[in-house]
Amino acid sequence: MRIRDYGEMNLQDLDVMREIGSIGTGHAATSLSNMLQKEVRITFPQIKILGYDEAVDSIGGDVEEVVGATLVKMDGEINGLMLFLFNLEFANTIFEKMMGVSYPSFEAFDDMAHSAITEIGNIIICSYVNAFTELVDLNISLSVPSSAVSMLGAILTVPIAEYGYETDKLMYCTADFVIEGKTYNDWLLMLPDIASLNNILKKLGVE
Amino acid sequence: MKLTRGQGEIITYALGSCIGIVFYDPVLKLGALLHIMLPVRQNKDDPNLLKYADTGLAETIRKMTAFGMLKSRAIVKIAGGAKMFSISGNASFGNIGERNAETVREILKREGFRIAAEDCGSNYARTMSLDVATGDVVIKTSGRPEKHL
Repeated sequence: MRIRDYGEMNLQDLDVMREIGSIGTGHAATSLSNMLQKEVRITFPQIKILGYDEAVDSIGGDVEEVVGATLVKMDGEINGLMLFLFNLEFANTIFEKMMGVSYPSFEAFDDMAHSAITEIGNIIICSYVNAFTELVDLNISLSVPSSAVSMLGAILTVPIAEYGYETDKLMYCTADFVIEGKTYNDWLLMLPDIASLNNILKKLGVE
Repeated sequence: MKLTRGQGEIITYALGSCIGIVFYDPVLKLGALLHIMLPVRQNKDDPNLLKYADTGLAETIRKMTAFGMLKSRAIVKIAGGAKMFSISGNASFGNIGERNAETVREILKREGFRIAAEDCGSNYARTMSLDVATGDVVIKTSGRPEKHL
């Protein structure tokens, strides 16, 4: 393996991953737009190699802030995690459009809300993964989605703990959604493990 | 790991699958709070001792002992080890919290420390703080009342 740690990625590697992220988030925005029947744009995707503390800073600072998250595990020729993080504002925008309801806080979520948000996360993640697997021509199977509402810091430690023996830093590929002109601060993270990252880059001819 | 004596408060935020471990000596009013992420340091070249339960606990116990903590007086409390996500059909995913908690209990037992109180497991994040003047350990979670261990 050429890359043994995310920190070893060079500019070209980062560019390639940004391109993949761009295609993935583009497709995710399209499915969100179809679902909501609203105009959805995305901001230019960013690729960051961050440690835990930097990741928390980068997403907005407060480790104790309660956020929602949907997680899907990738298996097959690429192993890793897909994580979609969102705040209450984003969730309510979706709920209002889909079900005509909104919730004052995450604690007020009922089963319906949890189920709906898991499914939204799943659709967004799956369209992302489908788009980039088509591009790299690799076979990936996805797990059923799982969602959680918890402190931001605790959710971000999930991938860090999962890959904690391989690396202290992770690659975050993110883009914000812009729904009808309003930017929502959410995060769509693609977190391949190190072997899979090498696999992707090799497949795309980056040596 | 943070360590202090006399007065003040030590906090570790948003423990998910991680474990917070408090050591407190009520006579010296000496306290330490360790935050570990994984059970065992597998790569012996990793300089980050405090990330792992085995090396982190050894280091904390060594420091506390150097500051005068006696094993017979030590009050140990642990919290965290939640399972943040559960994927149906994949039971092994995300049980790192449980493994962390087991490893910490095992090491503490082997080292001869009794766990006075614990708040582990379930699926929510915790913020843990220790008031060094009183030895009071508070667990804060979102949407639930504060808990004193």
